[in-house]
Formats: sequence, structure tokens, C-alpha cells
Amino acid sequence: MFRRFGRHIKEGFIGIGRHFSMALSSIASVTITLLLIGLFLVLVVNLNVLTTEVESSISLSALVSYDVTSSSELDNIKTSIERIEGVKEANYQSKDDEFTFYVNQYPDLSDFYELYRSDNPFHDVFLVSVDDGSKLESVKVSLERVNGIDSVHDGGSNTYVLISALNKIRIFGGILVLGLTLLAVYLIYNTIHITIEARETEIWIMRNVGAKNGFIRAPFLVEGVIIGILGSIIPIGIIIGGYLYAFDISGGIILGVFDLLQPYPFLLYLSCTLLCIGVVVGFIGSYFSVTRSLRRTR
Amino acid sequence: MIKLSNVSYRYSDGTHALHDINLEINDGEFVYITGTTGSGKSTLIKLLDTEVVPTKGTVEVNGVNVGKLRYSKVPLYRRTIGVVFQEYRLLEKKTVFENIAFALEAVDTPKVKLRKRVREVLKLVDLSDKYSSMAKKISGGQQQRTAIARAIANKPKILIADEPTGNLDPTTSDEIISLFEKINKEEGTTILIVTHDADVVRNHPKRTIKIEQGHIVDDRFGATIDDIAKAEMEETQQLELTRQEQIIKEEEESAKKIEAEYNV
Repeated sequence: MFRRFGRHIKEGFIGIGRHFSMALSSIASVTITLLLIGLFLVLVVNLNVLTTEVESSISLSALVSYDVTSSSELDNIKTSIERIEGVKEANYQSKDDEFTFYVNQYPDLSDFYELYRSDNPFHDVFLVSVDDGSKLESVKVSLERVNGIDSVHDGGSNTYVLISALNKIRIFGGILVLGLTLLAVYLIYNTIHITIEARETEIWIMRNVGAKNGFIRAPFLVEGVIIGILGSIIPIGIIIGGYLYAFDISGGIILGVFDLLQPYPFLLYLSCTLLCIGVVVGFIGSYFSVTRSLRRTR
Repeated sequence: MIKLSNVSYRYSDGTHALHDINLEINDGEFVYITGTTGSGKSTLIKLLDTEVVPTKGTVEVNGVNVGKLRYSKVPLYRRTIGVVFQEYRLLEKKTVFENIAFALEAVDTPKVKLRKRVREVLKLVDLSDKYSSMAKKISGGQQQRTAIARAIANKPKILIADEPTGNLDPTTSDEIISLFEKINKEEGTTILIVTHDADVVRNHPKRTIKIEQGHIVDDRFGATIDDIAKAEMEETQQLELTRQEQIIKEEEESAKKIEAEYNV
């Protein structure tokens, strides 16, 4: 078995050497496609983290009615809030805490605020965070129905627009990565197919002397995997170099607000992902191509 | 043993390549198959090589019903058959040794056994001194010998050759057929040779089966293409004589009619 495996590996390398120009065009196709996949992965993963950060930073403020005063009533409200689907946590802040917060937040207006300290107009508040930004609106509606809640405030309609936009970009990027992966499979499929056409005699002989399909297929699969590996090396290098450079000159912050992911371990995972995509794409492309050729005749 | 019972084959475009063929070839026989282009010879080879399955009837080879053979079993069946073609189909970038070894590698023969067998067949086809030569650098006859060596490397029970002398001069053709005879005698391999070459059939007389328009029209031991051609010519002559007699008869009848009409 090991002897056969070794033979397939050897034949795979020999095949690439013998049909080097075709292998080179395959490697070039995979390189370009994987480079695009890599760039979109950088974008999608960073957006994913950014969206999660934005979502987790958004909380709803549920203002408690003035007539709720006892701690048992407040406990009941908290329990009701925590039972709502999508609620991650609900933190209570008394109206005194709120008053102090605003005084500290706007020191220029502290004199103005102090006029109202004896007759504090603020509400007790539950700061409610959600586990998924898409549930923000439904949680808000549910909060408004809780007994003892006067009104609910969010960050305004811009919050929903931002989350929706980030999600759309993320989904679009994901689809693009998938599309590019399929494109890479198609490119390898075609190039390997041309290689197979050029090696029809070899396949014919193998079939005629009674070689099993697995035996005929194996060296081509090895070739596909080698093409995938070689095709992923340059994109990995460019993306590592490019990301490190971008991280360095931006100080890890994009648009002055959003943090870029730390290069380690992100680039390590990304490199492994690109290598895996290269291997899988090479394997699948070759598999389909050689199977098509073998099915042509009995 | 090869046994075809009421075998017909029709291609997907509707062409009937073979009609109700009944044929038996015993183990160790040496048989020529002749016929014009499109007569059905190649289809017969394809049936034996399981490239196609009969649309009617059964093809049995060494007790295996080839038409009912499962796809996964085809490679194992093919190991019992060797095929040689007019155009050699060698791997030009490999040596003579590598070309033969390739067939053995494909069926996973261990290295020591492989080397031994390649040496044996090289000796059998008289190419021991050419083992390291590149396939494209040797003569046509030597290339065909290499192809034959490759076909018999896995010790098939049946060896099928499709116009093996088609690209060779008469002397080399004679040598190649002698080689087939040697293989037939020494290895006990059943040999089926499809050929147009009248000299080959005349100089090495064997059982000769003639196929025309999908039918076996002649099957004689020792018949040569000349014999078959002679028989055909006699038949054509007979037909021509009958036709001429008919014309004379018609002319006579017509003359009699005219005589009667004008009372000459």
C-alpha cells in the first residue's frame, strides 16, 4: 500500500515536470484566484469582528416608570426582561447613578444639572444588551410590553442601518469567496482536463492492461493537490506582507475608529485556510476532470 | 474460449454493425479476421474488449459473460486480454523497458517480479538489446514488437491485434506474424489478428473468418484471402454470365415479337 502511495506521489511530480507549461498555467490561475479569495477573507473576517463589536456595544435603555419604587418590583421587571428571547444581559442603573453619570459626562453643564438634584427627573434604567444585532428591534418591541417599563431608547435608526449594511457586506463577501473558490475549481478542472487529453495514450494503456480507475486517477489527484499547494504559496506571501504593512502604517486602526485584527494568530489561520482551499480545490478539480475522462468509455 | 451466440450490435445512430453472429474460438487457436472497412471487425474487437456490450446475444470469454460484467470488474477482466494496434500507441518519452514496465506497474506488480517479467518478454520479442532505447528512436517493427511485449507482459489468455502489420513493410510484417506464432506456441495464448494483408494470410495460413456487412460470410481453416477473393470472383463471374444470358434471352424474345408483328 505504501509502495503504491509512493508511486502515485512520484508520478504526480513527474506529471507536473513533464507537462510543466500546463501545470504553470494552472498554478497561475490558482494563484490569482486564491489572492482574490485571500483579500476578501481579510475583509470579511475583519468586518465580522467589527460587526460583532458594534452589535455588542449597542444596548437598549429601558426606562422604568416613576411609580415603580420597591426593589421587589424592580426584581420582577429584571426577571421579565431576562426572559425575552435575544436578551444577553440586563444591568440596572438607579436614577441617582444616571444623574451622577450625566454630571460627570458633561462637566460644563454640572451647575445646570445640580439645580435638579433634589427633584431628580431621570428614570431608573435597565441597560439591555442583545446577543445578536438582528434581534435588536424585536427585543425593543418586547421590552416596551413589559409592565413597569415606561419607554425604550435605542441609538436611533442609524444603528439599524449600520448593522444592516455591515451584515450585507459580510454576506456579499462570503458569497464572493464561495464564488471565487468555485471558479478556482473550474480553472483547475479545465487545465487538468487539457493535461489529460494530452496524456490519452497513457490512460488508454492503463485501461487496456486492466488498471483500476483508482490507480489511473491517483497521480492526477496528486498533481491537482501539488498545483493547489504551489498556487497558494504566492497569495499567502502577498497577504501576510500586505496585512503586516497595512497594520504597521495604520497602527492597527482603520478610519480612526475600527480596530484591525492582530496579525497573530489571524494571519496564521488565514494562511492555513488558503492552503487548505488550494489543496481541496486542486483535488476536486482533478477528480472531476479525470472522472469525466474515465467515464467516456467503459 | 471465446463464444459468441446470436450476437448483434447496433450503434446509437442506428447503424447495425453486427447481425446474429455465432462464433467459437478455442483456447490456443490462431485466427485471422478479415473484411472490408466498416464490415464490423472493429466492433467485434470492442465487444471482446468490453468497450461496448452486445445489443442482443451473449459474448462469453473464458466463461465470463462479457455483456453482464459489472463496471468494477472490467479492469480485472481486461487483465486476461492483450490488445495491439496498428499505430503501436507507445509512450514516446519512455524507454522500451519503461513502456513494458508501465503495463505491469498499472496492475501493481511488485518491482522484482516486474523486472523479471520485462526481461522475459523482451527476450521473447527479441528486443533484449533495445531495452534502454527511447521508444520513438527505434524502427516501426521494433515499436510494434515493444507494443506486443507490453500486451503480453501481464500474461493475457487472449491477444487481439488490430492490423498489426498495417504500417510495416512485407519483411517486417512477416517477422511480426512469426512473433505472434511464437507467442501462440510458447505461451499458449489465443491469437486473434484483424488484417487486410493478403501476404500475411497467404504466408502463414490459419483459420480465417471473413466478416461482411456485419455477417460472417466465410470461416475456413487454412483459407487465404486469395481463396476468399477467388471464390468471390467466381461468384461475380457466375452472376455476370447469368445476367448476360438473361439479356440474350430477352433480345431473342423481343426479335421474335417483332417478327410476329410484321410477319417477316
